[in-house]
Amino acid sequence: MSISLRRIAQACNEAAELLPRQGPITKFAFLNPLQGLEQIHFDKVMEHVGAVYNNKAYLDDYRYREKLRRGRIVESDLLEVLTEELGERAVECVAGLTSRMELRLAMLKHPLHFGHRRELDWVLAETESLKKFRPEVAQESKTEVLGKFKQWAVANRHPTVCATLNKVLGWPEQKCEQLSDSIFSASVPESRWEWVYLQTLWNALRAGVYHAVAAAKQEAMAPNAIVENSLLAHPSMPEFVTSTSDNRVDELMIQFTSAFVDQGFAHSSLPGVERGYWKCFTQIFSQPSLLASRWRRQLWRLARELDQSNIGPLESIQKSLKELAIREADAPAFLGAALLSLRGYAGMIWQTETRPDLFRKPSPPGTLMEFLAVRLLLLTLAKKHPAKSSFSTGMTPSPVSSPPKIIDVEQLAFLLFELAQVLGWSPQALLELNVSQWQTLVAEMYEFGDHQRRRIFHAAFERRLAKMALRTFQLRTLQPPIRPEQATLQVVCCIDAREESLRRHLEELDATVETFGIAGFFGVAMYYRGVGDADFSAQCPIIMTPKHWVTEEPVYSLKQSDRSRARARRFLGTVQRRFQSQSRGSVGGTIVSTLVGPLATIPMLSRILFPRTTAMMNQTARQFIAPPTFTRLHLERSPDCPPAMPRLAADGSIDDQGVGFTLEEMIQLAERALRDIGLTANFAPIVLLLGHGSSCLNNPHESAYHCGACAGNAGGPNARALAMMLNDVRVRRRLLALGLSIPDDTQFIGGLHNTATEEIMFYDLELLPTRKVKQVREASRLLAEAARRNAHERCRRFESADLKITRNEALLHVQNRSEDLAQTRPEYGNGSNAICFVGRRQRIRGLYLDRRSFLMSYDATQDSANAAILARILAAVVPVCEGINLLYSFSAMDPGGWGSGTKLPHNITSLVGVMDGAASDLRPGLPWQGVDIHEPVRLLFIIEATTQTLLKLMEENPTLSNIFRNHWSHLATIDPNTSQMYRFSKDRFVPFRPDADESGREGLATAMQSQDWYQDKREHLPFALIQGLEKSGSTQATAAESCQIGVKELPEC
Amino acid sequence: MLMAICALLVVAPPAALALNMGLSLLLGYRPSERRLALSTQATVVLSSIAAATLLINMLLTDQVQYTLDIGRWVDLPVEHFHFSVKFLFDRLSIPFVILSLVLCGVISAFANRYLHRDEGYTRFFLFFVIFLLGIVVTSVAGTIETMFLGWELVGLSSALLVAFFHNRVNPVANGLRVWTIYRFADGAFLFAALVLHHLTGGGDLNLMMGSKPWPESACVLDSSHALIVGLLLLVAAAGKSALVPFSGWLPRAMEGPTPSSAIFYGALSVHLGAYLLLRVGPMLEQSPTLQWIIIALGGITAVYAGLVGRVQTDVKSALAFASLLQVSIIVVEIGFGLRYLALIHIIGHASMRSLQLLRAPSLLRDHRRLEDNIGYMERTKETTRSDSALTPLRIWRYRFAMERGYLDTILDDWIATPFLRLFRWFDGLERRVVKFLSIGGGRAVAKKPSESDEMEAS
Repeated sequence: MSISLRRIAQACNEAAELLPRQGPITKFAFLNPLQGLEQIHFDKVMEHVGAVYNNKAYLDDYRYREKLRRGRIVESDLLEVLTEELGERAVECVAGLTSRMELRLAMLKHPLHFGHRRELDWVLAETESLKKFRPEVAQESKTEVLGKFKQWAVANRHPTVCATLNKVLGWPEQKCEQLSDSIFSASVPESRWEWVYLQTLWNALRAGVYHAVAAAKQEAMAPNAIVENSLLAHPSMPEFVTSTSDNRVDELMIQFTSAFVDQGFAHSSLPGVERGYWKCFTQIFSQPSLLASRWRRQLWRLARELDQSNIGPLESIQKSLKELAIREADAPAFLGAALLSLRGYAGMIWQTETRPDLFRKPSPPGTLMEFLAVRLLLLTLAKKHPAKSSFSTGMTPSPVSSPPKIIDVEQLAFLLFELAQVLGWSPQALLELNVSQWQTLVAEMYEFGDHQRRRIFHAAFERRLAKMALRTFQLRTLQPPIRPEQATLQVVCCIDAREESLRRHLEELDATVETFGIAGFFGVAMYYRGVGDADFSAQCPIIMTPKHWVTEEPVYSLKQSDRSRARARRFLGTVQRRFQSQSRGSVGGTIVSTLVGPLATIPMLSRILFPRTTAMMNQTARQFIAPPTFTRLHLERSPDCPPAMPRLAADGSIDDQGVGFTLEEMIQLAERALRDIGLTANFAPIVLLLGHGSSCLNNPHESAYHCGACAGNAGGPNARALAMMLNDVRVRRRLLALGLSIPDDTQFIGGLHNTATEEIMFYDLELLPTRKVKQVREASRLLAEAARRNAHERCRRFESADLKITRNEALLHVQNRSEDLAQTRPEYGNGSNAICFVGRRQRIRGLYLDRRSFLMSYDATQDSANAAILARILAAVVPVCEGINLLYSFSAMDPGGWGSGTKLPHNITSLVGVMDGAASDLRPGLPWQGVDIHEPVRLLFIIEATTQTLLKLMEENPTLSNIFRNHWSHLATIDPNTSQMYRFSKDRFVPFRPDADESGREGLATAMQSQDWYQDKREHLPFALIQGLEKSGSTQATAAESCQIGVKELPEC
Repeated sequence: MLMAICALLVVAPPAALALNMGLSLLLGYRPSERRLALSTQATVVLSSIAAATLLINMLLTDQVQYTLDIGRWVDLPVEHFHFSVKFLFDRLSIPFVILSLVLCGVISAFANRYLHRDEGYTRFFLFFVIFLLGIVVTSVAGTIETMFLGWELVGLSSALLVAFFHNRVNPVANGLRVWTIYRFADGAFLFAALVLHHLTGGGDLNLMMGSKPWPESACVLDSSHALIVGLLLLVAAAGKSALVPFSGWLPRAMEGPTPSSAIFYGALSVHLGAYLLLRVGPMLEQSPTLQWIIIALGGITAVYAGLVGRVQTDVKSALAFASLLQVSIIVVEIGFGLRYLALIHIIGHASMRSLQLLRAPSLLRDHRRLEDNIGYMERTKETTRSDSALTPLRIWRYRFAMERGYLDTILDDWIATPFLRLFRWFDGLERRVVKFLSIGGGRAVAKKPSESDEMEAS
């Protein structure tokens, strides 16, 4: 009886949920790598995910213990977490020895030996662990314990003690029993008692565990509770993943699949690629080849048969499952495992199929199934020829990250032996235990295993951070809000955690500046093509699909010059492409390398030794052919035309009528953006909309540094588009009718903040009325100074920048980084993200949040009764920020597993992703160099809204509900009226009460300036209140002063 | 005197650095990143200045050749064996050593930032310094045994850097493959050295080539001797330069950090085979047969690399085959006796390719800029071109290229496996004989699997 075809198709779709959701690397998607499992509770997923994915869930014990030592985790939090976890069981006495709480705390606090059996043998044989107490045991307690033991031993002459004495002191049989008390105590040297004690303890434990272990073993083997039908919890899933990874199969599949998904790198493309994965594979491999590797020498027969008899992928899967003898009940898990064992490529295939708009050469639906069919076909072949010699690399990597299971007596006994020392269990007490007590003790060890310990550690770590953050927010919100009477400048930035510091510095510099946070696509979801670009890019969060197209065009008077420049660019581009492909060819390569080859040393030397100068020279040279700097966005479309991509009309002209938004749509977007951030009155004369992007060299992950809310693109065009809409008089007139009065004097300006080089540039300045020039110049000076300070603050994180660096040097340093060919860390991106605040900036203005917080502006007092604004804000902000946070967190937990490992051997493949070295699975996730400063924590959302509102929103929006109720992110609220804070835990809100911080301070830590707080420190900092604000006069003076000392005038365009 | 000092200063600093670094790591002292980078760069600069001074001196004076003799290190007069260390500076070795030093300097500056904070930073620099010493010694070697010394150091550091990420399976397996092929090539090299000693009574490269300086020197060997030595050296060169049938290892060697891939497989290491042939160029001319074999081997490899390179979908493999293509053309040039052209070709190609490899992570950005420049419309035309003609020849060509000419399989299935089988059979035979003899002698031998068996099985 074989499994039905429908069931196979269904299983394949289910399995696709487990795959990483990373599109092409050029459009880096920050998504939760386990997004498909969000309907399950985080803790439950983590329990299984380590074994199934063969990645680490949570950090290693020693790293948590290191945090414990440095005070990043504190014992009181561990206690709290354990208490919540255990409830009444916490105080229960385990085997009459100690409370469960104490036992678990000891297991957390002390670096116990959980290692491999062979390692233990070595420890027993080569170290003094059976002769000397563990170093944590204090001298006094040691003396006391030994004294009692001595008395007892002398009085009782327990057989175990006697056996020990015989062994330790080399006494003959019976001597121990026969000696009188006084002679006995005299004949054991004082220095030997420690040894005797420990040896007795060890013997007692070993004997006890031996009796108990059989029963306990059965208990541990009991299957874990099945989690809501998920494939993940299938008991044989990890085993299937191992059995479906065969290096020989993988090697072939990697070669073929990368040729199949190639977006245009290879010189000659895969023949027949347009026929789909399955057809293409069977046709190409149906040619006989005698030289093929032995295990697949018969592949061509199979392929030919499949091709000629027109057997589809589903039937082939069915056949393969039968041949591999997979039971029907196991089939879905097996299929899932077969995908997971080559998950990088499988995920990419799935993306080419489900997000065709992200690829130049997408695949038709059903390609993943065809991929799976090929994989199973090859696996059946491989199974017939098991790999033998080491040379054909038929090795399957052993699961490295899954910790060794404690299953044998010695290991358990040794664990208890170490615990007994730190908890002061004496041999005399242990020798009294009965079998059932021993069983409890052993069961306890199993129950609080590796995974559980790390989970508790992680929870305590997150709690520490949450307490610190909530406490700061609570204390600050109890103080009055800070908002300028009449703002001189308003800056709207992305919610990105990197903009937190820029905004803080701006506010610090000038008290009359007001800043706002908005999702970096400014509500304008569009496909955008710049004037020199070949392709459209989707400028909105990856979870959305745009419906509009916008292009950038040179202004009408420069069209001619644009055409000639475009021709020049095309000419140079063609020459360059020729040169590149020729340099890899034979004749051309010879000519090129003999004639101009030696000249390559010049750019190489200059690029590597003088990166910045070279970059500047390049830029100057490029100016001659760059597209004209005066451009406009093609933003408006007549309401009669449906939105469409520009296309070539029949007569050769370009039909771009479908490009842009209608006036009505623009009004909606404009209104929505202003209402979202609560900027509905008190407009400043200048309102800057600041998108952000990043620039760096030699970095396949460049797109990951761009704006996460723009799907890995720079957010400048969106800011520019929104500014254009808001400056449009027709839009403003209609907004007035809608109750939004923007003064005539207010000018919106779009801009782009380069988060790597700290350069800020503005769009459409040529349209600026002359009366505004002075104000804009002031504003740009202020921004330049803020950016300079921002660069300085960022430099504290770079080990290669000195801690004593000055602000100007810092600016130079960050600019150098972005132009350096050898730099693997152009910036740290959102590498320190930990919280996300949604609320009014004035409530928390002045807080030093250490670039750790996403900041979204939202004014609950302006929202409707049904919280319509909050609903739409959270619908975008929560999944976006959660995705960013979890991708960072998972990548930091196991950089080689969830992340893409170190950048050093990365090898770009098919223009869609990177492999490790010569050939490996595609590596989605963030590289180690991007997460090495990240501390994995789930994001803590702090939302300024009532608890009822949030409960209602969770009710309405399943995504929010999944994320918060299943704790993929934590949630807390501040009541907009009473400022009372609540934490969301176990499906309900609990009031939060701040206690004193670790140094016993009741109030907030304060500093005059940001720099005073972060100076000379590299690590994560606690939040603080920056007080310099009130004295705006003085800070402004220093700002003006430093501006005169040669801050570069901003490039104006 | 100046020449002697300069010559010594070319070789001594890398040797001192390698020794110093190796010893200090052995003794458990871990130098800081800054210190390592500085000392490496200082060494490179010192050696380069010395080499440049030599070059200028030779350009100014009539002297075109200088030999630095460090003496005989092993001398067994009865067996007629001696091991002498000599360094030869002439119109071939000076340009090559300068190229090596410049590239090594650039790469070390690059790697210093690229590997910042990596846990293998120190290890990388240790291997890198060993490589530096190896390449300098190989380039300026004056006797075949000195050359072998450098050749081995290069091979060792190559294999170790391929297996740099030793916590994954593939790098280690590929490192082992590289190592195996290198050993095979080294065997041929060593054999050639022995034959040469036997024939000429010494291993001096310039003695063997006659007294005139490179490239005019004439060989003292006769045609058949030249053929034997030449063929052996050709095998050594083919292994090192990944000529057919050894080509399979070159793309697999791209496992280490990008800068090591650049210097080894884009620039220096892969050219060493060609350099060896160039060094003994005058000898090749003694035997036309040998020349034709070299041209044929180069030609076949060129066709192979051209075909295979066209289908590679990842940037490092594509560059590896592009490198191979140029190396094989250089070999053809050497076969035709175009020695200066070959030398210029090596220098140009090494510089260009290492820049390309260093910039390999920029591929996406470069590609996008290129496409932006060429423009949107043209490209759409290109991709919509239908390619439905699926002729058997096209499929065959594609598969041949995709499977990299089946070279690895041929080596594995037809050479390595039978070889292993044969020796396992010998092993079994030996054991049976021993058993028979020992039982015959009245003593039982405990049955115990041999160690070699276990190692292979694992």
